[in-house]
Amino acid sequence: MAPTVAPEVSTAPQVRRRSRASAQSRRNGRTGVLLVLPALAFVAVFALFPLGFGAYISLTNWPLVGAYHFIGLGNYTALIHNSVFVESILFTLKYTGIVTIPILVVGYALAVFVRANRRGSALFRTLIFLPYIVGLVVESYMAVVELQPTSGSANYALSKLGLVSDSTAWLVHTGQALTAISVLVVWFYAGFAMMMLLAGMQSIPRDLYEAARVDGASWWTAERRLTLPLLRRWLALSLIISVVGSLLAFNQFFVMTDGGPGTSTVTVVMSIYDTAFAQFDVGLASAMSVVLVIVVGLITFLQFRVLREDGS
Amino acid sequence: MAVAARRAAGRRPSAGDEPGRRFWFILAGILISAVFVLPLGWEILRSFQPESAISSAPSGASFRHLTLGNYRTLLSGQDDIIRNVVNSLIVSVVATVLTSVVATLAGYGFGLFKFRFSGLAFGMILLAFMIPFQAVLTPLFLELHDMHLLNSLAGLALFYTTFNLPVGVYVMTNSFAQVPAEIVDAARVDGASVTRTLLSVLRPLVLPGVATTALYAFLFSWTEFLGALSFLTNDSLFTLPVALSNVETGTYGSVNYGLLLAGAVIAMVPCIVVYISLQRYYVRGLLSGALKG
Repeated sequence: MAPTVAPEVSTAPQVRRRSRASAQSRRNGRTGVLLVLPALAFVAVFALFPLGFGAYISLTNWPLVGAYHFIGLGNYTALIHNSVFVESILFTLKYTGIVTIPILVVGYALAVFVRANRRGSALFRTLIFLPYIVGLVVESYMAVVELQPTSGSANYALSKLGLVSDSTAWLVHTGQALTAISVLVVWFYAGFAMMMLLAGMQSIPRDLYEAARVDGASWWTAERRLTLPLLRRWLALSLIISVVGSLLAFNQFFVMTDGGPGTSTVTVVMSIYDTAFAQFDVGLASAMSVVLVIVVGLITFLQFRVLREDGS
Repeated sequence: MAVAARRAAGRRPSAGDEPGRRFWFILAGILISAVFVLPLGWEILRSFQPESAISSAPSGASFRHLTLGNYRTLLSGQDDIIRNVVNSLIVSVVATVLTSVVATLAGYGFGLFKFRFSGLAFGMILLAFMIPFQAVLTPLFLELHDMHLLNSLAGLALFYTTFNLPVGVYVMTNSFAQVPAEIVDAARVDGASVTRTLLSVLRPLVLPGVATTALYAFLFSWTEFLGALSFLTNDSLFTLPVALSNVETGTYGSVNYGLLLAGAVIAMVPCIVVYISLQRYYVRGLLSGALKG
């Protein structure tokens, strides 16, 4: 341990240390490489290679099993005429458009509520975050049970309030299914947005608020003139993470509607999954994936830009 | 002129201290928390109702006969989901251990050693964060097939490890970089080897980072669905979330919502227990995961 170092050793002449420095640093360098190698291997084999491999496959007519040959950009031109894929893009964008703002607004309001260090606020944060921890898959299964006509709790409660008939079959109609899933997702995701924005709010120095209050600024003015501008980076980040998450939506739709009725609630990822593992058209599925990687990559790149811009 | 007024304002006790406001804050907090917790609690309660009560019109009377029947059916008989729980545990634990070890080594390397191309290597690992795993599923399927890792819990664990590594490496690199330089130098001067320095000098300092990484990896692996659905086709290898989709569609006979709820509760409980006991580590990792760059 550190305290055992004798004083004369630590004050040893600099010359002696330097003479060993190059051999030492070369050995250190080699050790460093060895230490990071396993992580690099994982990423190279199971993330970067599939990425390149996928781009390659997208230029072929690769079936799941059997021979293949190059067809150039054939899969990409086929995509434009693939109505299920095009509709899945439109549907996913619509879904993203519906849930994004509610997630941010609810998350912001929750963060404002729990941000002060008051008695109870830590517990409230934990509880509000719980749905995110449990995961959307399990909650989707529960929602399936509760959204059943006549037997589900959701219909029971909503019909007592006079909002819907207790025979509403939520998951059978496109609009109602989208509504139910959107409500579930906002409920699931709001705690995450709260945690992100809370971290941002806590990074704003307290004395700025003190100064604003001394200057006679109301709570609302301080929120608008101080919190919102200083939170810009965190808001942008939450927005991007939430949008990327929505564009990659799969679980909740697979469990709750399986893309139905018809193919009206098929998301982009579900469309890829189906093309690859149900229709065995791996080439086409890979072309779809390449499109998705580019879109998500661009948005994530934007996230890095936002961080660079304000991070320094 | 305004100075005196400002001083007076500054001396007033802050509004949050008033007992009345504290009461309203607690009350509002309980109501808001209920919105997020009650639905989960409600499903736990419902999972103890007999199947007949779950699939017929709700009534207060149906809560008078709570039973372990759903759990008993689910955990016994030929279609028991115990093996799915075990599969989930195996995959999650293996992925968690692998992620923690590999990320700790990499964090040690990136945080405390200088070597050529370390920036490039770090960038490569973070690149994996920008690749949505949903988009490499198809090529990965073919690759795992060729490596004989398809339909294998080991293959799934390797996949989970890879996509947990960016967050893990980021957290661990920060943990090691924050170790005071004197401690590392002192260990070196003492003649401690690289391994010995890590295991006896640095271990207590980076342990919180390891906890963050492990917790993040466990919760990811325990709840992951799409990868398990794609890479496992043999029912006996299904992880719990995938096995529940069989329960949902009634692959084991007729659709039984009692079993589905009981299964969902079984999947939910470990997450809650693990999170509540280690939550301070989790939130930190979550945020650094989002903030990479």
